[in-house]
Amino acid sequence: MAQPGLEKKTSTKVEDQSSLKGTLASVFLLGFFLIITWVGVFLLFVNRF
Amino acid sequence: MHIHKFEKIWLIFGVTTLLVFLSVIGVSAFYLGNQPPSCLATINPEKVDTTAPFDKPGLNKVEGKEWDYELVYVASAFNYTPGEVEVPLGAKVKVLATTKDVVHGFNVAGTNINMMLEPGYISEYVTTFDKAGEYLIVCNEYCGAGHHMMSSMIKVVE
Repeated sequence: MAQPGLEKKTSTKVEDQSSLKGTLASVFLLGFFLIITWVGVFLLFVNRF
Repeated sequence: MHIHKFEKIWLIFGVTTLLVFLSVIGVSAFYLGNQPPSCLATINPEKVDTTAPFDKPGLNKVEGKEWDYELVYVASAFNYTPGEVEVPLGAKVKVLATTKDVVHGFNVAGTNINMMLEPGYISEYVTTFDKAGEYLIVCNEYCGAGHHMMSSMIKVVE
């Protein structure tokens, strides 16, 4: 009789922890920052003699 | 092993970015032939003034090479020889430089010509001067009391 209650608790906890939307956003924010700065420096190199 | 969908996305994104960056470096080095300015060319630092091409500093026209001119610089505390040089616009030039005493820098401000000059080594850079103007050469390696006064000038003229 105690088992159904236990299952409910664990399932809600797992769902909350597995949301990685914020992590995905910050990873791409950092990724695009790195790409933009890298491309900027590369263009500077290419356009100079 | 379970990998979250988002984790797959940023792993692929990160690895792809890294591969693109490394490919650019690889193409630059192995296909275009870019190399460090000081790349195994050596000289006796005590006999710089009598060793070709450093016995004739300045802009020298050359034949039968991939470049039209050789621009030769000798650095010593605290000046560059020559102190000023005129280069025709569009000339393909190999810049060769070395030092007679201590480590000096060779930075043509606003360009990619930025080399370290070490005693016993020749630093080289091949480029095409395709923008007219005056370019200041400064020493960017601290070399002694007169370091800040060490400069030269390249004038790219039509």
